[in-house]
Amino acid sequence: MTTLPARPAAPTYDTPESDNYLIHDKGIPSWLLTLDHKRIGVLYTVGVLLSFFVGGIFAMLVRTELLTPGRTIIDAETYNHFFTLHGAVMVFLVIIPSIPAALGNFVLPIMLGAKDVAFPRLNLFSYHLWISGAICTVVSLVMGSFDTGWTFYTPYSTTTTAGGVIPVIVGVFILGFSSIFTGLNFIVTIHKLRPPGMTWFRMPLFLWALYATALIQVLATPVLAITLALVVVERIANIGIFNPAMGGDPVLYQHFFWFYSHPAVYIMIVPAMGIISELIAVHSHRQIFGYRFIAFSSVAIAIFSFIVWGHHMFTSGQSSLMNTLFSAISFSVAIPSAVKIFNWICTLYKGSISLNTPMLYALAFIVLFTIGGLTGLHLATLNTDVHLHDTYFVVAHFHYVMMGSALIAMVGGLHHWWPKITGRMYNEKLGMIACAIVFVGFNITFFTQFMLGSHGMPRRYYDYQPEFQIYHVISTIGSYIMASGFLLTAMYLVQSLVSGKRAPANPWGGATLEWECASPPPYYNFHEAPKVGDPYDFSNLHWDERGEGYVTVKPPAAKA
Amino acid sequence: MMSMLTMLTLAQATDGPTPPTFWMPIGASAHASNVDSMMWWINLIMWVFLVLNTVLTVYFAWKYRHKVGTKFRTDGPDHNGPLELAWSVGPLLICVLLFVFGFIGYLDVRTPPKESYDINVTAYKWSWQFKYPNGAQSDDLVIPAGKPVRLIMRASDVLHSCFIPAFRVKQDLVPGRYTHLWFQCDYPTGMDRPTDGHHLFCTEYCGTGHSNMNRRVFVLPQDQFDAWTIKQANWLDEIPEDELYWKAGPKLYARCAQCHSLDGTKGIGPSWKGIWERVTGAGGSNGAFADGSTYSSLIGPGKQYATAEDYIRASIYNPGEHLVQGYGNVMPTFKGQINDKGIDALIGMMKKLDEFDPKTGAWLKAPPTASAK
Repeated sequence: MTTLPARPAAPTYDTPESDNYLIHDKGIPSWLLTLDHKRIGVLYTVGVLLSFFVGGIFAMLVRTELLTPGRTIIDAETYNHFFTLHGAVMVFLVIIPSIPAALGNFVLPIMLGAKDVAFPRLNLFSYHLWISGAICTVVSLVMGSFDTGWTFYTPYSTTTTAGGVIPVIVGVFILGFSSIFTGLNFIVTIHKLRPPGMTWFRMPLFLWALYATALIQVLATPVLAITLALVVVERIANIGIFNPAMGGDPVLYQHFFWFYSHPAVYIMIVPAMGIISELIAVHSHRQIFGYRFIAFSSVAIAIFSFIVWGHHMFTSGQSSLMNTLFSAISFSVAIPSAVKIFNWICTLYKGSISLNTPMLYALAFIVLFTIGGLTGLHLATLNTDVHLHDTYFVVAHFHYVMMGSALIAMVGGLHHWWPKITGRMYNEKLGMIACAIVFVGFNITFFTQFMLGSHGMPRRYYDYQPEFQIYHVISTIGSYIMASGFLLTAMYLVQSLVSGKRAPANPWGGATLEWECASPPPYYNFHEAPKVGDPYDFSNLHWDERGEGYVTVKPPAAKA
Repeated sequence: MMSMLTMLTLAQATDGPTPPTFWMPIGASAHASNVDSMMWWINLIMWVFLVLNTVLTVYFAWKYRHKVGTKFRTDGPDHNGPLELAWSVGPLLICVLLFVFGFIGYLDVRTPPKESYDINVTAYKWSWQFKYPNGAQSDDLVIPAGKPVRLIMRASDVLHSCFIPAFRVKQDLVPGRYTHLWFQCDYPTGMDRPTDGHHLFCTEYCGTGHSNMNRRVFVLPQDQFDAWTIKQANWLDEIPEDELYWKAGPKLYARCAQCHSLDGTKGIGPSWKGIWERVTGAGGSNGAFADGSTYSSLIGPGKQYATAEDYIRASIYNPGEHLVQGYGNVMPTFKGQINDKGIDALIGMMKKLDEFDPKTGAWLKAPPTASAK
């Protein structure tokens, strides 16, 4: 176990070139056993991006198979395994940990001006649990994989002959605890490690979002854990809990599952909204519009998320009264979401907008989340949902929210903090081109699927009616375009590590604390406790021609 | 509940089904125009906000773009109470309206009229069975036009879901409980060609054959429907024994075709190719069960199955008892669905497989005009 070395006695500060968290210790054990939140964040980021690549390959295989009705490249059984793997990898290994665990870990303590999270060892344990969960998924692949859909609906999941169901369920169980511990760590860190002067309403909005997310992680994830444990018990010990052949109730499983998995949707989207609030404020260089409304809407969404799960079950056989109540409550989520969108747009108004890659991702987010959010209305409304439920309309809707919003925000955030994390600038022009390719490809892929679904194409179909083919072909072409955009992104990001320009401390002109420490940050983040100001006051930032970054210039009258 | 929307819909009932649009497929039920008008309103809301948000975003982003090195603007407002209240309350009102109208439409979908024609539906991995009050059975759904129809549905193995896009209705089938669905279609479709009628899909993922659980919904005028159900209930009885294997065989086989091929292709279940030789041991052929025993050790005089016919009958009625090596226990029982005469027809077909098209199962000796349907 790495021990924390004593702090250098003399206050002679190193430059980022001579000492930073990346080169402070050397060797693979110094990474895998690190207690440094920045390194853990980097490890998570690498893991999440690798998983994203794997999940993306499954997606490409699924889309390619759907080019023609009947068999194109794989048989029905393999197809069922592939779409299940795509869903499970993307949800449990990529999107849920992507923002809180990867970017959140890196940014949260620095934004607070702290040295680390409250419990660094627990943080490392979270990461080791994530690795264990990923290994379980690989074990499942070796043992015959699983074809249950990422939702593991019973009684199919307890009766299927696929060999890898139990290992993957164990994996998801473990990943759940990784998520719970990260959430716990963030809650305590935000409560206890805020520096003097940073009141709740002087916190950057990303922290509000991470806080709301952490609440959901800690409160909802245990329900998933116990539900999956029951599935394993039913499979192994034949105790009838969900399988009606043994006296169980399959609809009970759906209640349990969505009691976690609906809040999980907000584990994915709320931190994404937090990133967008940062991106839009920093790159517009102006006070965010309606700070309190945005902050409270994060918490409101977190609370509402616990009482709307039944809208996944309008056609499941649950009573009409329940459906009515869940429909009514589901609409309530629309309000805080709409509030955020309008606030972001108003932040652009009379801003000083730098049109760079992170900002383009933020603008793309506004458009994609608008579509994703508004198509939620079709699904919350009872009689239209009866028609659209379990069709490609739902697939398109959640891809707009999960991928077009949550993942696009993650990629935008990655670009935003890339100079801070790596100390290098990427090729801005390529970044903007790649963002445009991803945006266009995404819309071609998924907007088509709305029409596919509303015309009646059910989801999770290997074979389909010839009348749907044209939509499938367009959608698949879109997915290839999108994939090429992501490959371009991977290329220039790797290139920046090799030959990118050195990043200044504050390349964008941000006023939150992470832009006050060097890029990449020193091991202890800050040599002296930073002064806390308004996170969205950009009036003291000035462009420094020589450093090609922004520097803070205190107005002469102000007292330190 | 009879809402205003439904009244309007019924008033237009003579116009025929609504043709497919940019967003929706053909609409052929009383619910359809109800759902479609709701879709239209929500789409309108979507487009208005999408255009508004996109135009404002792009316009602001371009108009207020910043030149590196110049001073930041500081004249933007940081909040506006009345405006923020307005865009909280505005969407809230829209949501309340959507909820109320969606709720009213939903009650119509969920509440069948008192006088409805009931059809029993059972979903299996991976087929549907529809049973009519007079005992008739079918694989495709056939309904009378102009009459409320109620489906009383159950699933025999895992979750399934019955979705008829043209009627805008959907309901899961849950093992261990009954669920129901009702609709009324006023427009006959005929059932002479396979393209007649509407789609019926399974929309709850149920495994390998999930996407093959698509069937047709045929709508017939009442008199034709009555004639069809009578013919359907008695069709097997009217066929003379010597014509049974080619008249009834292919028709019954259509349900087996999901899993059992005729040409030797390995499917979810073993192919029928050479089945009779295997089970009788003709020409020294044999086969093995999953438990290691062979066909010849179980089939024959004095053994568990005295004749090959006994074994075939038992495998249709109790498929899980002896699984063929390499195949899982996935076949549902057909007890109560195929009677002994039907079993005779299938066995007759197995005995003379070379008389049938290995791809379609059609009888090859049939005169060109009277193909087996």
